[in-house]
Amino acid sequence: MRRKNSNFRFVISVLAADRVGILRDISSAVSELNGNIDGLSQTVVEGYFTVTLTASFANRLAEDDIRRKILSRMDPERISVFVVHHDGTVAARTPASGDRYILTLTGRDRKGVVKLVTTYLASRKINIEDWFMDMKGDMASYVGEVAIPESLDIRMVHEELTGLLAPTGLRVSLQHENIFRATGEVGPIASILDVNRKARSL
Amino acid sequence: MKKTSDILATVRMLQEENLDVRTVTMGINLNDCAGRGMPAVLKAVRAKIKARAGSLVRICDEISIKYGLSIVNKRLAVSPASVLLEGHQHADAVKLAQALDQAAADVKVDLVGGFTALVQKGMTPGEETLINALPEALSSTKRVCASVNVGSTKAGLNVDAVKLVSRRVLDIAAATSRFHGFGCAKLVVFVNIPEDNPFMAGAYMGHGEPDCVINVGVSGPGVVKRAVDRIIAQQPDCTLDTIAEEVKHTAFRVTRTGELIGREAARKLGVSFGVVDVSLAPTPRVGDSVGEIYQSMGVRAIGAPGTTAAVALLNDAVKKGGAFASSSVGGLSGAFIPVMEDHALDKAVADGTLTLEKLEAMTAVCSVGLDMILLPGNTTAETISGLIMDEAVIGIFNNKTTGVRLIPVPGKKTGQRVNFGGLFGSGVVCNVACPRGAEDFVNRGGHIPAPLRGLTN
Repeated sequence: MRRKNSNFRFVISVLAADRVGILRDISSAVSELNGNIDGLSQTVVEGYFTVTLTASFANRLAEDDIRRKILSRMDPERISVFVVHHDGTVAARTPASGDRYILTLTGRDRKGVVKLVTTYLASRKINIEDWFMDMKGDMASYVGEVAIPESLDIRMVHEELTGLLAPTGLRVSLQHENIFRATGEVGPIASILDVNRKARSL
Repeated sequence: MKKTSDILATVRMLQEENLDVRTVTMGINLNDCAGRGMPAVLKAVRAKIKARAGSLVRICDEISIKYGLSIVNKRLAVSPASVLLEGHQHADAVKLAQALDQAAADVKVDLVGGFTALVQKGMTPGEETLINALPEALSSTKRVCASVNVGSTKAGLNVDAVKLVSRRVLDIAAATSRFHGFGCAKLVVFVNIPEDNPFMAGAYMGHGEPDCVINVGVSGPGVVKRAVDRIIAQQPDCTLDTIAEEVKHTAFRVTRTGELIGREAARKLGVSFGVVDVSLAPTPRVGDSVGEIYQSMGVRAIGAPGTTAAVALLNDAVKKGGAFASSSVGGLSGAFIPVMEDHALDKAVADGTLTLEKLEAMTAVCSVGLDMILLPGNTTAETISGLIMDEAVIGIFNNKTTGVRLIPVPGKKTGQRVNFGGLFGSGVVCNVACPRGAEDFVNRGGHIPAPLRGLTN
């Protein structure tokens, strides 16, 4: 595997109306520039494809070289491409994390709920690592994966969130991610606990 | 990658379907407390329980908050108390029960099991002392639970022990007559007693266990009922194997939850993790009933022909889901049918669709036995012995555990209602179809030899 030289490493984000073959086109563009994708997260929301990836290249390139190469394979009117140099110090500056919890909000959708919750989480220095939303009619389900600093009392966080959302009628739950891994995976339970323990000791 | 639908399904199980950890039970070996002087024994018992279980409740509460999951009961199961009574007298046995009661209160657990004697093949003086002390022990304590193992597939049935225990059952009922014989609800007569069962009243810590261990009991009849309801709503004409498959998958998730909690509790307490017992243990609450599951499956009148098959399907599917979920499944693991603790079963008995005799048939394929059955106050010791013997041989000859919790209610007749309150529920006094006629057989005493299937070596 090519070494991740931060001088030649970029973060690439693409937003486009979904169709078959978008990721093929992006990866082909990277490959033609003699690059290697070494990190990727992709999803489709309401018909819109979005991907964020990191790629390392053998040769020095400008951000715009990569952007133009990707656009050359697509309809430039229907795509948004964003490229920046990868900052190797970003990972070290990621907010201090504690155990990962799953926050769910379920009930009739209300305007401003995301702002309400995310403002609270930010005030408590709780980092959101993933956030999903699902709508069925006017019933909404929000699922957030959040890292709660060890210094915070989980019961207090839960009570504060419950109080905050009581006027909206949304039901709140906050539970350690292990319970979802336990019920959703087939691996030994002991290994789930071991992974958490090792992560804490790093 | 976690799927949103999976996450929401787990949240629904916890918030809406009454999935909980029914009990985290710490097993404690008390054999090293034995001695000739009872005051020293009692002191050692209290000290060891405090040392081992002092932080049990606090740690369980912390875990409960972390996972957003209720841990309903925190309990203790000690090694058979009869071992500590060898060489001691009747009064010492009562003092020992009271010391266990106080020790349990000191560490804030609601029940302590293990006032137990294992007499399947014969009876030592200490075991006889314990059995004879049961009326005073159970009437003078709140938290102590007792069990007597009277038979096994390897040993056969100790009928003399059955006769002795049956007389004591009547004495316990009399000693707790002010509470409708409630003391009997704290005594289980077993065959093939499991050494790692975390559920009360039959929990004790077996001789093959470590010095201290955490066993967990998970329940969730509400979760299983909702799963059955959902699959039938999606596929109204679904076959029984489809229902069995759905129950199995649900039991898998329930079991995994229990093992997670148990392992974390054991790790925090610095003791061994034992087993997770996945048992559908009902409570009197609507929505937390095993009987409701049978009704969802299509048995509208519990007790109608087909009910035993429904019990078998459910019990088997729960075991299979549990076995796939964890290599540490133990205890009783299956479906309980404690009549008083399950409002649907209680109603079926009151309506007359579910009889004592049908319940006995159902116990051949459920995970325990004749559980929480109210009997008329004038029931004789011989009738109780006969009921225990019939139930015992179902277990012995089918190589499974069966247990009996019979409560003769002083002054009450068939059809009258008795309310114990709380998790013990309420029920009507059952009719024994033919209460007399086997006295000569029962009174012969002795021993029913082990069945051929016990000779497996």
